[in-house]
This record gives sequence, structure tokens and C-alpha cells, in this order.
Amino acid sequence: MNIQSTDPQTAVVTGLMELVAANATQVRDEIRAALPASTIRLDLDLSSVTFLDSSGLGMLISLHKTLQSRNGMVRLLKPAPNVRQILELTRLHRVFEIAPE
Amino acid sequence: MSTTTASTVHREVRTALRLEATCDFSAVRAATLAVRAWLAERGLTAGELAAWELALVEAANNAVKYAGAAGQELPVVIEVSRGEREVEVRVTDHTAGFDWPAEVNLPELDAESGRGLFLIKSLTDQVAYLRHATGNVLVLRRAGPVSAPDEVPDVCQLQKQLAEAETALTDMTAELASSYESLVALFRYSSELGAQTDLADFSRRLLNDLIQIAEADCAVLRLVSHDGSCLETPLVLPGEGQFPLASVALAAGVASVEVNAARNRQDIWFNPEEPLAGSDPLRAVLPGGNGICHPFFVADQLVGTATLGRILADKPFTAAQVNLLHTFIDFLAIQIVNARLLDERTAARVIRRELQIAADIQRSLLPARIPACLPFEVSAACRSALQVGGDFYDLIPAGDGTLLLVIADVMGKGVPAALFAAVLRSTIRSMPQLFDQPGELLAAANRTLYPDLSLVDMFVTAKLAYLDPRGQKIVTASAGHCPLLVCQPGLPAAVATGQSGLPLGIEPLTRYAQVETALPPNTLAMLYTDGLTEARNATGEMLGEPALLQLLEQAAAQTSNAMGAKQYLLARLVNYSGQAPLNDDQTLILIRHRA
Repeated sequence: MNIQSTDPQTAVVTGLMELVAANATQVRDEIRAALPASTIRLDLDLSSVTFLDSSGLGMLISLHKTLQSRNGMVRLLKPAPNVRQILELTRLHRVFEIAPE
Repeated sequence: MSTTTASTVHREVRTALRLEATCDFSAVRAATLAVRAWLAERGLTAGELAAWELALVEAANNAVKYAGAAGQELPVVIEVSRGEREVEVRVTDHTAGFDWPAEVNLPELDAESGRGLFLIKSLTDQVAYLRHATGNVLVLRRAGPVSAPDEVPDVCQLQKQLAEAETALTDMTAELASSYESLVALFRYSSELGAQTDLADFSRRLLNDLIQIAEADCAVLRLVSHDGSCLETPLVLPGEGQFPLASVALAAGVASVEVNAARNRQDIWFNPEEPLAGSDPLRAVLPGGNGICHPFFVADQLVGTATLGRILADKPFTAAQVNLLHTFIDFLAIQIVNARLLDERTAARVIRRELQIAADIQRSLLPARIPACLPFEVSAACRSALQVGGDFYDLIPAGDGTLLLVIADVMGKGVPAALFAAVLRSTIRSMPQLFDQPGELLAAANRTLYPDLSLVDMFVTAKLAYLDPRGQKIVTASAGHCPLLVCQPGLPAAVATGQSGLPLGIEPLTRYAQVETALPPNTLAMLYTDGLTEARNATGEMLGEPALLQLLEQAAAQTSNAMGAKQYLLARLVNYSGQAPLNDDQTLILIRHRA
């Protein structure tokens, strides 16, 4: 997992693999810990996320709430089709901004 | 929307997998990946695999999440069963269990959990949660291909599918209506089969119905001629007589789609892109437009061609209409062939009947007994050919112990020949005053019969022989007939000298000479018809006169009476021709002077 700030207000997270029950909480905590206080836009690069279960969803929601409290937002970048599917199935594709690129 | 395909029948074959995973997230995650790989090997699509992976992960996660202290020690069991039509997964957990809710809904959008059951329910077809003291089993089933989560209902796509479905339905309805019409038509024709005798009328009605149902404008029916050399035109519809089409030769290089379709044994289409040749006779009926020519066969034999045409060039015949053409015409072909066979069979039956009548007439003409003419002995026989040949003989007592022998061969076959034989017999018998003058008798018979014989172009060979016991002689006169053969004792058999006049029916005023031949005691003489000398053996050789003379000699030497001689000769004749059927009647009269 890798987090970089492209500008003071935007941070990009890359290197995410699976977001599942086994690691979801841990990854969330890592991201939160590494998130600069000035960041109000969090881009999560999901291009290498092969699988996402409901725990992963929960983790995304949690991050979303964190950014919302800063009047910010979370963007999901390049989700794989199966990730997109689960987002749509659970109606969460309207909650996040999804950038297919 | 593609047309539905027929479903194939599968045997129910299940294969199964069982995994035990330690009760933690990583282990069950690994187990679900193993299950996914196993299902992939068994041919599930990417969509189905994704759905199963997610459903299984959620189920397994629950098993881990809610396991109590004791439950954590026990493995989570995953069993997968793959049938031909469905997959079933069972997850055994050691949690306290829960009541599966009647309705499973999504939580609030910002809820961080609580979506597991919803995902499981959405991704499977059937869910059952069986609770036991020793462990609970979640049973999940999915049948067939997945309606994958990536298929978001798209209104536009649905509308397009609906429109396509409606078009298909309309087409199918139209086809069904057309099929129904044609079925009704065919049933109607079938029911007429027994009663139908007029083939022309039947064909006309069938073709008219075909034109109507197939929405054609015209039809041309051609039939192969009996000798197979050309196509004749019995029918052009509509408006018979408006388009007289001449016969067209079935030869190579003829510019006619009908001839080419028949020769190539294949339908030929024509339309503005591929029009009829300039010299195609079909142009007289259909100068433009489009059409199809269908050659039809029964038992692999060409019967004819049927062409359907439309005046409008831009409306080609649909596949369904072409099918109609084939069905109707192949049905008609069978009727045509049946009608012909029936005609042939009837004709054959008529011929057989005629031959039967002729044989009966011939049999009735022959004398029942042989009159006495001592010291002469007479014996006669007639072997009929299958095709009645018109031989006959007669033995007429001529007064005072004399006998008139008649032997004749009416040239021709069947009933006409038999009738003339009967007339000749009556004519001769009607002139007893001439019995002892065979030459005069023949001339008189000829004069009487000439008008009728010449009218039908028939003639008769005949020989009259007056047997005179007191004079020990035989007086003969011949109208183109085979000669008398005589075998005097001690001498070789020989042809008696004599003269022959023309056969009866050639010229009205023929004169016939008569000849006397002595028949001393022990002489054997024979009158016969050419069925004997023209008898053929197995190699096709004719018997011939010399061989017959030899047989007569042998008969004279080896037999003592007329009957014996006759039987001897008959046996030799049967032997000569062997198994082959006779091609002409064989008649013989033996005369023996018993000493």
C-alpha cells in the first residue's frame, strides 16, 4: 500500500490488492494514519484490486465518512469489472465518484 | 433476438469437492480461491465464477466472524457439488446460528456492515440455512448461467429486445398461419386421393392453391415425356391457353432454367440480378420479376419441373414459401407417378384379360374327339405359347369314312387372331360339298375371308388335307403353309411334293392347286405349323426342317401308332426348347397307316 500527495489537498493511494475481511480493517487504519490532515480529496487507485467483499466495502465507506467529515470526498480510480459489479449491486456506485479513466 | 434453440438433454452427473479451512479469514479466503479454481475447471463462465466467489466469501466470513470460542477451534467446512445444470455449495459453520430473515434488504448507504446476507441472496438462486446442534449448514444453489451483476438493466436495450421479440412473434404467427393453410390444403388433396381420377384437374387445383398460398403470380408445370427426351407443358397458370409453351428438349446447352434445373437436379432462382436468358422459353410467361424453378423426382427419377414466379422483382420468395413449393410439388409428383402406375397396371390387366379370352376361344375351337378314319390313325396336339399365336387345327368327318384335316396359323396375336381362327373353322365346315376338293375349298374360304382379313391387315396360312382310306392317299392344298412330311417304311423322311398358294387374305382370287400323296401301309405322315421348325433351344438355334424330318424318322421307327409318334415328337420338342417359353404355338397332326 502506497500513499502520495499530488497536492496539499489531494492524496492518491496505490498498491492495493485484495480488500477483504482478513485485511480490510488493517488497510483502513494504515490509510487513515498516513493521510495528511490537509487532504480533502482521497483517490484510491483500485486498478490492482482483484477482489472486494463486504468488509472491503465497509472499509471504503469508513474512509468516505472520514473524508466527509472534512467536507471532502473519496474517488475510486479504475475499478476492475467485478469490483464495479459489487459496488453497483450494493448501490454504492452513487456514493463514490468512480473514475474509470 | 436470436431464435430459440432446442435444448439438449444432459445426464445428471455430479462431481464434488470438500474442503476444511481453519476458522480464520485468511484460511477461508484461500479455500474460496480453491473452490473458484475447481469450478473454473468444470467450465463455469467468468460471471458465474465471480458470483460464486463473492457469495462463498460472504458465507465463509460469517462463519468465521460469528464463531464462538468453541466454534473457532473447529474448521469451517465447504462442500461444492457440480451438477450439469446447477452448482450447490454447503458451508458448515460452528456459530450459534441465526434465523434467516424472511426479507433481506440492504442497510443504509453509509452502513459499514450488514451487506453480507444481501450479497449471498442476490448472487444465488436458492438459499437454505439448516441449524443443528453440532453445526449449521448454509446451502446455496445457482442454476445455469449467471445473470451477472454487470448486467445493469438498461431500458434502451430492453426496448430493443422487446421490439425484436415482437417482430419474431409476428413472423412466426404469419408462418404458422401459412403452414396451417397449406396443411389444410394438403389434407384436402389427400382425402381426394381415393376418388381422384382426373389428374389434370387435380394438378390445376393444387397449383392454383400453391400460387395463392405462396403469394406468387404464376406457375408453370412441366413433365418429362415418356421417352425422357423432352419436357412437355401440361399446365401454365393462371389463364390456361394464354401462354402456349412448346416442349423443350432435355439436352445440354439449352438456354432454359427448367432444363438446367432438371439436368442438375437442383432448384434454380432467377431475378433481375440473375435474369432468364434471352432465349429462355419461360420468358413468354414471366418477362421480368423473379422466380424459382424446382425439379421434382420420385424414386430418383425425374418427373418434371415446377416454376413459381412473381411479377414484382423486389419481392423474392421467403424460405417458408420455397418450402411450400417443395412440399406441394413433391406431393403432386407422387400423385402423377401413382396415376401413371395405375394406368399401366390397368392396361396390363386389360391385355392379360384379352389374352385369357383368346386362349379360351382357341381351346373351344379344337376338336373334342378324333373321328375314326381306318386304317388311318390320326393324332393331334397343340402347344400354346404364352402369347396366343393363333394356331388351330380341325378334324372334320367328310363322309364315307374319309376325313378332312385342317391346320392353320393366323398371323397375329390375341383376340383378333383367335376370332379369325373361329371364322375360318366355320367357313370351312360350312362347305361340305368341297371337303374332297381341298384346293377349291381353300379358294372359296379365301374369297369369303378376304374382305375382313385385308381390313385388319391380317392373313392366315392354312393347309387342308383330305384323307382317303380307300385310295390310301392324302390330297392336300396349301395356302402358304408348311409342307406335308412323309416317312414311308424303309425310306428316309421327306418333304412331300406339292405347291403352295398365297396365304389367305393376301389376294381375293387366289387359286390353290391340290396334290395327291400316296400313304402306303406303315407310312407316318405329319402336318405341322412353323412353331416347330422355328423352335429355339437354349443357345438360340432354330430346330429347322432337316432336324424335324429326322425326328419324324425316329418316331416312325420307334413307335407303332399315331399317338405314340405324336408323344415321341412332343417329348423331343419339349426337350429341345428346354426351360425357355415358347415364342409361337406348336401344332402337329400325325397320320399313320396301320397295317
